[in-house]
Amino acid sequence: MEESLEKRVAYSLNYNGKGSDFFGIIMVNWLLTVITLGFYYPWAKAKQLQYVYNSTSLNEDSFAFHGTGKEMFKGFLKAILVFLILYGVLFLCIVQQMPGLGLLVFYIGLIAILPIAIHGSYRYRMSRSSWRGIRFGYRGDRKEFTLLFFKWIFFTIITLGIYGPWMAMNMRNYLLGNVRFGDVEFQYDGDGAEYFALNIKGYLLTIVTLGIYSFWWQKELFEYYVNNLSLKRGDAKIYLNSTATAGGFFKLIVTNILLLVFTLGLAYAWVATRTIKFIFENIEAEGNINLDALTQTEENYKDATGEDLSDFLNLDTIM
Amino acid sequence: MNNTTTAVFYDGNSSVPQQITLTLNSFNRTLEFQSADGSTCKWLVADITFEKRSSGLHLEHGAEVLQHIKIQDANFIHLIQNFRKANGQIGWYQKLIDIGFAAHMGIAVVIMALIGLCYVYIIPWAAEQSVSLIPEEYDNELGNSAWVGNQYFMNVDSTKTKLLNDFAKELKLHNTKKLKFTVVKSNEINAFALPNGSIVVFTGILQEMKNYDELVGLLGHEASHVNNRHSMKMLCRSLSGYLFISVILGDANGIMATIGDNVNSLQSLSFSREFEHQADADGFKILLENKVNPQGMANLFKRLQQQHSYTIPEFLSSHPVTENRIDFINTMIKNKKFQTIAHPQLESLFAQLKE
Repeated sequence: MEESLEKRVAYSLNYNGKGSDFFGIIMVNWLLTVITLGFYYPWAKAKQLQYVYNSTSLNEDSFAFHGTGKEMFKGFLKAILVFLILYGVLFLCIVQQMPGLGLLVFYIGLIAILPIAIHGSYRYRMSRSSWRGIRFGYRGDRKEFTLLFFKWIFFTIITLGIYGPWMAMNMRNYLLGNVRFGDVEFQYDGDGAEYFALNIKGYLLTIVTLGIYSFWWQKELFEYYVNNLSLKRGDAKIYLNSTATAGGFFKLIVTNILLLVFTLGLAYAWVATRTIKFIFENIEAEGNINLDALTQTEENYKDATGEDLSDFLNLDTIM
Repeated sequence: MNNTTTAVFYDGNSSVPQQITLTLNSFNRTLEFQSADGSTCKWLVADITFEKRSSGLHLEHGAEVLQHIKIQDANFIHLIQNFRKANGQIGWYQKLIDIGFAAHMGIAVVIMALIGLCYVYIIPWAAEQSVSLIPEEYDNELGNSAWVGNQYFMNVDSTKTKLLNDFAKELKLHNTKKLKFTVVKSNEINAFALPNGSIVVFTGILQEMKNYDELVGLLGHEASHVNNRHSMKMLCRSLSGYLFISVILGDANGIMATIGDNVNSLQSLSFSREFEHQADADGFKILLENKVNPQGMANLFKRLQQQHSYTIPEFLSSHPVTENRIDFINTMIKNKKFQTIAHPQLESLFAQLKE
């Protein structure tokens, strides 16, 4: 089978999930979580992710998530252990009348966990995702990423946060640049200065227009995330392009808020469905990679500790 | 019935779609097909993961090499599902998912009702229980640290502080621990009690008072907060409410957690209303027992009311609206028999406090 196509083609990317189906999953999960006093959570999370992946399709074939509750529960236990140790050290230092040292160790520990959590979460999520049986993968190196992360954090702190946008883009470039889809490589071309300018402009105009500009800001951010992402294999490429409009974001966000408020949050399933649909409807993919000729290259990785650490730290890093 | 269909097979090594003829062998409980390289595959139905997606029924087999079949033939999907049902291979989770929208809505309503019940009955009860387990020393420690934190910002009037302590000594306040009274110079019309028995009265509120019976009412009210460990109860209630939210609502649904959070803070406001009400009732009793005119309490509230001309809806305010509190006191005065005697000592101390 030919690896690349002669002519550029459009790929179809769709979300086919239904709010009512997702609602059923959320409610069953909720019931089980309540009955088990929260212990069902990892399984609930796996089921929810499976539904979302299964409902997303590329060229009429859906994605799959193979992560299991059991894997995430094990990761959950390890993550708890990590936090227990951190709090233990803090507590010990306080008992020994050294609260300053305790806090220092605690915060350094917390910052040190961040890159490990992000790395682990990417590795786990990617290796457990597939399409037509072809696995995704994350090839980043933990040590390299941790050192880079410390460097970026250091710059961000000494510049009082000004370096933040550069850090965000460097991190995105590194993380997404190491994502594989079989033998296809992801690439992200973010630029700190551009991202900084985009956010400053968005922030100032949002204030001046009393918030109205925020929908345009949102649209530009989405565009920046999507348009700079591409896939490549050899010479063949897939380019992504955003078609989202500020009006589209306005309709999505306002309706979502109204739905949530007037149903006391029960409409969450529909809100999530509308949002994911909106995202995929507004991404165009075009290029000359032959998706019928991907090769399996990525291995399984079943340690969900990073995934659970990210969960504890409320990181939502996946793309 | 036809137990054969065409389907698409992915061999787990590449994304090349292979057209296959798939056969369900009910006798051996296997699905059988021939892949492109000519080899025959037999999968035990029990080993296959089935996933119904919008693009059809998806079958996955194997762990390291992930093989994948996509079936779009509705009749065949029906056939397989019936076969699995007949062999008890539909998991309990899937059964829960299949019970339908109305039942899921029912689950939602029942859980929300349970949450409501928990807030009204279980949490206050659990908090009450835990307060009785917590030694009083913790109240003292809590109060001491709050006192240390506030002390720097307060300008204590030491002469009046002594007068106020003498004033309180003349009264029976039913206190279980030693009460320490402090007068602080401030225009603020306020007074508060800390769990360690420190009661702070601002000069602003003293200036507002016209008679010593009002001050007795105020001290009775604040002493009741200390005697009933209201601060600790409040703390336990909001902590148990918080715990409840994180465990039960948790991350299962972020939105629910946010709503729970808001319900929790509204709830703590109404807890504190309940405590204020109790303190009023206790303060009233203290007035009666010390044979001081209970009208003082109502007068005090009236004066406070004039100060705060704006009104906050009762549901949202931590102090019950003064109007209601005055009505409550007036009803008590009407319904209770009481006798008052002259208190020249209190009167003279009060006069000095007003100077």
